[in-house]
Amino acid sequence: MGALSGLRVLDLANQRAALCGRLLADMGADVIKVEPPQGEFSRRIGPFVDDKPHPDRSLFYWYYNLNKRCVTLDLAHPTANELLKRLVCSSDVLIESFPPGYLDRLGLGWSTLHRLNPALVLCSVTPFGQSGPWRDFEADDTVLTALGGMTYVNGYPNEAPVRPFGLQAYHSGAFYAAIAIMCALFARERDQLGQWIDVSLMEATACAVEHVAPSYFATGSVEPRRGTLHWSRYFRVARCRDGYVMHCTLGDWTSLIEWVKADGKAQELSEPEWEDPGYRKEHAERLFDILDEWAKDYEADELLTRAQALRIPYASVRPPEALFDDEQLVARGFFVEVYHPELGRTFRYPKAPYLFHGTPSHVYRRPPLLGEHTAEILTIELGLSTQEIEVLAAEGAI
Amino acid sequence: MTARPPLEGVRVLDFTWVVAGPVATRILADMGAEVIKVERKITGMETLGPRRTGLQGDINRSKRSVAINMASKEGIQLARRLVVKSDIVIDNFSARVMRQWGMDYDSLREIKPDIICISMSGFGHTGPKCNYVSYGPTLQALAGFTLMMANKDGAPAGYGYSYADMAGGYAGALAALFALWHRNRTGEGQFIDLAQFENLVFLIGPSLLDIEVNQRKQNPFGYRSQEGPAAPHGVYRCRASGQDNDRWLAISVRSHAEWERFVAAIGSPAWAREARFSTMFLRIQNRAELDTLVESWTIQHDAYDAMELLQRHRVAAGVVANGADLCERNRQLSARNFWLTVRLPDGTPYRVTGIPFKMSNSPSAKAFCAPEPGDDNDYVLGELLRLTRAEREALVKAGAIWE
Repeated sequence: MGALSGLRVLDLANQRAALCGRLLADMGADVIKVEPPQGEFSRRIGPFVDDKPHPDRSLFYWYYNLNKRCVTLDLAHPTANELLKRLVCSSDVLIESFPPGYLDRLGLGWSTLHRLNPALVLCSVTPFGQSGPWRDFEADDTVLTALGGMTYVNGYPNEAPVRPFGLQAYHSGAFYAAIAIMCALFARERDQLGQWIDVSLMEATACAVEHVAPSYFATGSVEPRRGTLHWSRYFRVARCRDGYVMHCTLGDWTSLIEWVKADGKAQELSEPEWEDPGYRKEHAERLFDILDEWAKDYEADELLTRAQALRIPYASVRPPEALFDDEQLVARGFFVEVYHPELGRTFRYPKAPYLFHGTPSHVYRRPPLLGEHTAEILTIELGLSTQEIEVLAAEGAI
Repeated sequence: MTARPPLEGVRVLDFTWVVAGPVATRILADMGAEVIKVERKITGMETLGPRRTGLQGDINRSKRSVAINMASKEGIQLARRLVVKSDIVIDNFSARVMRQWGMDYDSLREIKPDIICISMSGFGHTGPKCNYVSYGPTLQALAGFTLMMANKDGAPAGYGYSYADMAGGYAGALAALFALWHRNRTGEGQFIDLAQFENLVFLIGPSLLDIEVNQRKQNPFGYRSQEGPAAPHGVYRCRASGQDNDRWLAISVRSHAEWERFVAAIGSPAWAREARFSTMFLRIQNRAELDTLVESWTIQHDAYDAMELLQRHRVAAGVVANGADLCERNRQLSARNFWLTVRLPDGTPYRVTGIPFKMSNSPSAKAFCAPEPGDDNDYVLGELLRLTRAEREALVKAGAIWE
């Protein structure tokens, strides 16, 4: 049994918030993705299986929609719109990421949904939230990570800022949306009432930038780009024989310096003042310049292994391809096999990022094909006849 | 009935430190949980910075603190008595620490059968590398972020900060809420083993599937779109603002209609009508020239003016915000009262990061200033554990607590 079994979630979100539904589905919630008949936009985002674009072959869609079911409904069609309302009556949560006001125009705004099902939690995820002067501004992840402060501080001074890898504005928003949904469900246990959650992706991004706002509030300082020197000044990337390594001057300093000394590369680092982390922080550039000279003759993985044996938190700078062979991830079963019967192939997916010992996450089903569960949901859940479904399909409503 | 924060009545015993763990418990505190930090009151933590302001002030606000020495038997006894009065115990040590103290899940469930234990270690509690030591930046290096966020010349330029810690924090908070939901339904607690490394790897899912399914080596995206075709798409240098010439605007144009609006917004220059930019395919193919031409427009404009102008034409654009932009000049954040204000002990108002969602019925908890270690000894030791003054003095002498 999953931690969330028994919860039903209608997921009308597009690529901006699709991860939220997956987080809930991995823990056992019944997440029904409601897509327009031509498919949700994510299905058109690559990469695709064997680079063949097709709504059922988008790897982007696959990752964000594992464990969901899929029903297609054209919400502008009056019958399909009614069917959604009937699904709302038997659901706990509805997640959507339409522009503000869009659901109202479909006759599915908060007041309508709340009247239909007073216990429903509506979670709206938008770039800027449901209020304020920028409410109707346009944004994608690139614009949001820029505005949220996540981009400016990456990269080198005097060069262009580097944006995050992966859609981290959307991911931050999806986690916070799931947190808010759970909180609304706890509140509902007390008063039996659902509520409307307004998630701003820009605000979620601002929450996910570690040091920028806190430094500004504490000292008025505007954090610059520092190349790979971490703002704390205890980490920097070094080139080594076969790639790059991440230095770390926290951890066991004595062991690190004995090692560097044994290699004849310590220069002034064996002086006692370097034992003070504050001194190391202050003179970080000099410190890392010396350590760079030392690290350059090693292979990255050798540095990592030997440092870790001394409990020094070094790491090699690895490409994502290395992850599938990572001993630790493999030993913990982090990658789970998902069978795609229509392709006759099995692929490894990353599973939920927490191991629940009592109620583990689970692969319940591969990501749904477009409309895969339309008939199942309309007949079993809503009691429609095969004939009614045929008529709706002919009208393009499903 | 006045509305109450959603997690009112939930108590969290918080052994976390540095960043990721405190971010998780801050989220729970913001939603009304009572978070009690159990911590040392000794020197040697200066590397973390001041406690009430800066990053530590931000992520430890709205929590209480009791100064207990977990290296002493009596200290551990006190902590175990607090477990009995708590719903969730959370730590971000590597696997062995809580076990050494007898504070692991199997020991704690004997005194509190429905306890929820969450451990947010770097690599998890099992596997050959479970004792590896890590910080956010080293995890980012291992997970591919550092390399994939490359500078123009290809050199790694990954995060200038620990996104790993922030992301680990929200995964930790979410895991706590899932477990609490299950406990409320069934009366069952459980142990949750959250590896921050796995959480980071989880956040690059589409690239992983591209590797797995298509065996494609991943190259840094640069400013190629990660969510379908777009051009122009990237950050473009804007006019200097006073002395500051580090001004940039992110622009993203995803459809033909948006391209038409973009061209109109920038005054329909002749180059924009050239055949080489007439379709998305061609704009992507000729993106280097396109980017140069777009920048020849942005460089003449103030970043905010350009953003507002493009947005009036419904083109996605946003200033690449620095600290002052984010905290002072973002009209949307101020209109939504995003930043919160706490009072420092001397009464000075101090701003902290807010909560990125609003709930129509439930208020968040009222934020208060981060505690110094031991600030809430009276509440925790006196009120919750009902220790007398004399008992507390004896515990100080025994080295079990700091007052």
